[in-house]
Amino acid sequence: MASSAEHHQGGGHGQHAGMWVFPRREEVTSDVSGKTFAMPSVYKLALGIAAVLAALGVVGFAIRASSDGFGSPGPWGYYAAIFSFVFMVTGAAPLVACAFRFTKSHWRRPLSRVSELFAIVGVVNIVLFIPLLLAMPPIKNPDAQGTDLEVRRTLWFEVPIGAPYTWDLLCFVGLALCSVAILWLSATPDMAQARATATGFRRGLYTALAGWWYGTKRQWNHQKAGLALLGAFYFMLIIFVQFIFITEFAMSMVPFWKDSVLPPMYTVMSFQTSLGLILIVLFIMRKWGGYEGYLGKAPFWSASKILLGLTLLWTYHLFAFFITYWYGRLEVEQNILKYLFTQPYLPLFLANMLFSFLVPFLMLIWNPLRRSAWGPSLAGLSALVGALLFNLRTFAAAFNTGNHYEFALSHVPAAVLPDIWDIFMVLGGLGIVALVYLVSAKVFPLISIWEVKEGTLYQKMDTFVRGEYLVLAKPE
Amino acid sequence: MARRPILGLFDNANSAADAGDGLRRAGIPETDVDFLTDTPYPEGAFGEREEPHKLYIFPFIGALLGLTSGILLTSMTQVAYPLVTGGKPILSIPPMAVVCYEGTMLGAILFTVLGIVFESRLPKLKAGLYDNRITEGYIGVLVNTEETQHGEVEGVFGQTGAVDVKKQ
Amino acid sequence: MQEGRVLSTREMNRDLLRSILDTPRWFWPVVTVLGLVLLIAAIAIGIMVNRGLGVTGLNRPVAWGFFITNFVFWIGISHAGVMLSAILRLAKAEWRRPATRAAEVLTLFSLMTAMIMPIVHTGRPWRILYWVFPYDFARGIWPNIRTPLVWDPSAILTYLTSSTLFVIIALIPDFAVLRDHTTGIAHRVYSVLAMGWEGNARQWKLQIVAGVLLSALILPVFVSVHSIVSWDFGMAASVKSWHSTVFAPYFVVGAVHSGVSAVAFALILLRWCYGWQDYIRHEHIDALGRLLIVVATGWFYFLVMEILFGMYGREPDELMVRQTQFTYWPYNAWFIVFVITTYFIPVILWLSRAWRRNLWIMSIACISVNIGMWLERFLIIVPGLINKQLFTFVWADYRPSIFEIIIVAATFALVTMLMLLFSRVFPLVPLYDVKEGDVLKTQVQIGRRTVPATFRED
Repeated sequence: MASSAEHHQGGGHGQHAGMWVFPRREEVTSDVSGKTFAMPSVYKLALGIAAVLAALGVVGFAIRASSDGFGSPGPWGYYAAIFSFVFMVTGAAPLVACAFRFTKSHWRRPLSRVSELFAIVGVVNIVLFIPLLLAMPPIKNPDAQGTDLEVRRTLWFEVPIGAPYTWDLLCFVGLALCSVAILWLSATPDMAQARATATGFRRGLYTALAGWWYGTKRQWNHQKAGLALLGAFYFMLIIFVQFIFITEFAMSMVPFWKDSVLPPMYTVMSFQTSLGLILIVLFIMRKWGGYEGYLGKAPFWSASKILLGLTLLWTYHLFAFFITYWYGRLEVEQNILKYLFTQPYLPLFLANMLFSFLVPFLMLIWNPLRRSAWGPSLAGLSALVGALLFNLRTFAAAFNTGNHYEFALSHVPAAVLPDIWDIFMVLGGLGIVALVYLVSAKVFPLISIWEVKEGTLYQKMDTFVRGEYLVLAKPE
Repeated sequence: MARRPILGLFDNANSAADAGDGLRRAGIPETDVDFLTDTPYPEGAFGEREEPHKLYIFPFIGALLGLTSGILLTSMTQVAYPLVTGGKPILSIPPMAVVCYEGTMLGAILFTVLGIVFESRLPKLKAGLYDNRITEGYIGVLVNTEETQHGEVEGVFGQTGAVDVKKQ
Repeated sequence: MQEGRVLSTREMNRDLLRSILDTPRWFWPVVTVLGLVLLIAAIAIGIMVNRGLGVTGLNRPVAWGFFITNFVFWIGISHAGVMLSAILRLAKAEWRRPATRAAEVLTLFSLMTAMIMPIVHTGRPWRILYWVFPYDFARGIWPNIRTPLVWDPSAILTYLTSSTLFVIIALIPDFAVLRDHTTGIAHRVYSVLAMGWEGNARQWKLQIVAGVLLSALILPVFVSVHSIVSWDFGMAASVKSWHSTVFAPYFVVGAVHSGVSAVAFALILLRWCYGWQDYIRHEHIDALGRLLIVVATGWFYFLVMEILFGMYGREPDELMVRQTQFTYWPYNAWFIVFVITTYFIPVILWLSRAWRRNLWIMSIACISVNIGMWLERFLIIVPGLINKQLFTFVWADYRPSIFEIIIVAATFALVTMLMLLFSRVFPLVPLYDVKEGDVLKTQVQIGRRTVPATFRED
C-alpha cells in the first residue's frame, strides 16, 4: 500500500468482513493527492503497454487508409466495430456516477471519479469518429437517382442539409462537452484542495480550472445542482447519441433491418459494460494501486446486483428482437436473422452470448461471488469481451452487406474475417483508451476526494442492542 | 425431569438482550433460548445464535423440475398433435422456450415458498408458550429447559427487568 | 428522509388494523353501489353470451376492441405490485414500506380482472379451457404452444400464482397480529392463517430472506408477462404497426408507468379513507412522484422508438396505420389526448416538489396517466386493425357498443370492490414492515444538524 493512511474497517465478522471501509477524513486529501502524483513501476508498465497498442492501432489505421481509402465502407467494418465498442463502454461510463449520485447511494462515492474520468476518452472519441464518417456510404444513391433505390433507409428521412455527417458529429461534440463539464464541475473542489500541494503543470492547471472555488455553502449548492442537471442532460444526450449511432452505422447499412429494439439494447449493453469496466478499474486500484483504504467490497457488491440486472435486461432485449423476426417468418427478416445470427457469424454470436450473458449470469447469481471484489470484476470483464464480440459481429456484417441501397437483403452475404491491419486497429482502439485514461488519472485524482470526505459524515458503524451495524444517514 | 418452556416478557430490546446475556452466563445453552418479537430485528441484535438454513437450494430444485415439466409439456403435446401452423417446425424452440421459461420460474417460486414454510418450521400445529403482548411491541425471551433450571431463569428475568414471566 | 411522528407499537396496531376491526360508515353503501354496477355488467355478459358477439361493436377487420384494450390496461396496472415491492425491496428503499402491500394486492386483483377480459371476449368462454390447458386426453387434441395466445395464460397464471404466494408469505406475521387482536371465529380463522407464527429469530430471518429471494424470482416473471402480452400483437406480421421488435420493453415500461401511478392514487385514497396520515405520508407520495418522472421519461423514449421505427421502414401499409393514428378523426384527437395526458401533464406536475406533495395534484396526475395509458392501448389495437390488410375483404370503422362500455366500466368497480373487501379482512399496510422501519430508525449528528439515518445489516 503506497499510502500510510490508516483506515477503519467496518463489518469485521462473517460475510461482512471488509465490506465497508471508513477513511480518516483528515487524511484523505493528502493521501489521494500523493497517490495521484506518484509514478509507481506498475503504472509505468501499464502506460508502456497501452502506448505500444495505441501505436499498433495508428499503424493499422494508416495502412488501411492508404491501401483502401474511404471510398467504400467494407474495409472499415472492424474499425467501426472497435469505435463502437469504445464509444459504447466509455460513453456511458460517466453516467454511472451521475445515476448513483441521483439515487443518493453512498456506496458510489469511491467510484464516482473513476466513472467521470472517462469523459476525457469521450473527447478522443470525436477524433476517432471522423474517419467513420468518411467511410459511410452517402444517403443518396449516386448510381440510382430517380429510381426506387434513390436513397437508403436512414433516420434523416428527408435528408436535411448536412445529414448525416454534420449532425452526427455535432452529437458527439455535444456529448463530449457535457461529460467534460461534469468532470470539471465534480473535480473542481478536489483540484482546489490540491492547489496548495501540487507542483509544476498541475499547479497551473488546477489554478486555472478551480481558482474560483473556495468551498462556500453557495458554491457547494450550485455545484450539486449543476451536477444533477448536467447528469440528467447527459443521460438524455447519451441515449440519443447511441440511438443515432447504432441506427446510422449499423441498422441503416443492412437493407430492411428495421429493429426498433436495437437502440435500447445497445444502450442497455453500454450500461452493462461501462459498469463492468468501472469495476475492473476499481479492482486494479484496490489490488495494485494502494486504494484499498477507500474501496471496501461494498461498491462491488452493490454494483454486482445491478450488473446482474443489466445482463438479464440485455438478453431480454435480444430475445425480443429475435422472437419477433423469427416468428414473422418474412423472407427478408429470415435473411437478416441468418446473416447476423445463425449463419456466417454464428461462432461470434455464440461467443457473444457466452460472454455477455451466460458467464456473468452464472457468476452473479452466487451470493459469495457477489460479495467478493474479484467476482463482479471478472463478470464485468466477461461482459466487456462479449460486447467486443457483439460489435465485431454487428459492424463487420453491417459494413459488408454489399449494396446498402437495396430494399431488402435478398441473399445472405459471407462473413468477412479481419486481416492483420484490422487486428492492429482493434488492439489500437483498446490501447488508446487505456493510454488516455492512464494519463488523465495523473491529472485528476482517481478518488473523488470531496465525495469520500462527505461520505464519512453520513456513514459509520454503530451498536444496536448487542450487534454492530452500518448506519447510513440521508440528509434529504 | 421434563423440559418445559418459560417465557419472560420485556418492554424494551436492551432488557431482553440483558436477559439473553444473563442466561448465557447461567449456562443455558443458546439453542434453548428464543427471542420472540413483533418485527424483524437485525441478525445478532440480541446476541442470539445464528440460524443456518438451506432455503437457497429450494428454488434450484423447483426450477429444474419446472424446466423439465415445461420441456415435456411443450414437446410431447406438439409431437402428439402435430399440426403445422404458420410454417413453423412442430418442435419450435423459441416458443417452447417461452413456455419452459414460465414453467421454470413457476417451479422455482413454488419450491421457494415451500422452502420458506418448511425452513420456518411452519405450520406449528401445537401452540407453544406465547403471550399476545408480543405483537404489542413486547419482546419475549422463551427458554425451553429443564424444570430444575426454571428458578435460575426466573432469577435472570427478574434481575433484567422482565415485566412478566409465564410458564406452561 | 423520515417524516411523521413517533408512534408506539400499540398505536400502530390500532391505526393499521382499523380497517379490519372497525367498519367505517361509508363501507357497506360503497360496496353495495359497486356490487350493483357489477350486477349490471353480469347481466350484460349474460346477454352477450346468449346472443353472441354481434351485440358488440366488433366486426371484421376490427376483431379486437374495448375488451382487449382493457385486458392490456389491467395487465399493465398489475405491474405496479412487483415493481414497487420487489425492486424497492431489493434496492432497500426505506420509503417502500407502507406502499408494498397495497401495490401487491392491486397486482392480484387487476390481474384477475384482466383475465376476465379475454374470457368474455371469446364469446364462448368455456372453449378457452381446451385452447389453453392440456387436458383433452380423450381426443388427443393439445393446445398449440406456437401461438402467443397460449404463452399468455402460461405467463399470467405463473404471475398470478407467484404474486398470490408473495402476498400470503408476507401476510403471515400480520395474521399473527390479527390472531392476537381478535376473538371468536375471526380469531380461529386468523390462527389457522398464521400457522402458529410466534416471531422467533429463525422465522424472521426466513421472512427477510424470502422477501429478497421471492422479489428476485418474481421480477423476471413480471417482465415476461407484459412482454408476452405485447407479443400477442408483435408476432403478427400481417398487422404492420404491431410487428415491432420494441413492443416487449415498450409495453413493460408503459405498464410500470400506469401501474405505479395507480398505486400512488390508491395510496392517497387509502390514506383518506382510513386516516393513515401517519403511515402514508407526503414523503412517500413525493418519492413515488420522483420515481414516476424517470419511468415516464423512459416510457416516452420507447414510444418515440416505436413510432420512429414504424416510419423508418417506409413501408406503405405501415405508413397508413400511422396516418390513421395521427391524422384521421377521431384517432388524431385521441392521440393528442393520449400523449398529453400520459406524459406532459403528469411530468410537468411532478417536476415541482410542492406539487408532488399536494395530494390533489398527485391524484390528478396519476389519473391523467391512466386515462392516457388506456388510450395508448386502444390506439395501438384499433388503428392497426382498421386498415386494409392483405387478404382483408371487408373493412369498417369500430364503435364500441353499450355492452362493451358497461363491461369495461364494471372492471373498475370490480377492482375497487375487491380492494375494499380485502382491506376489510387483511391489513393493506404491512404492519411488521412499518414497525421494522421504525425499529431501525436512528439519527446522526453533524454539527448543529440532526440527520435521519437507518441501521443496515448490509
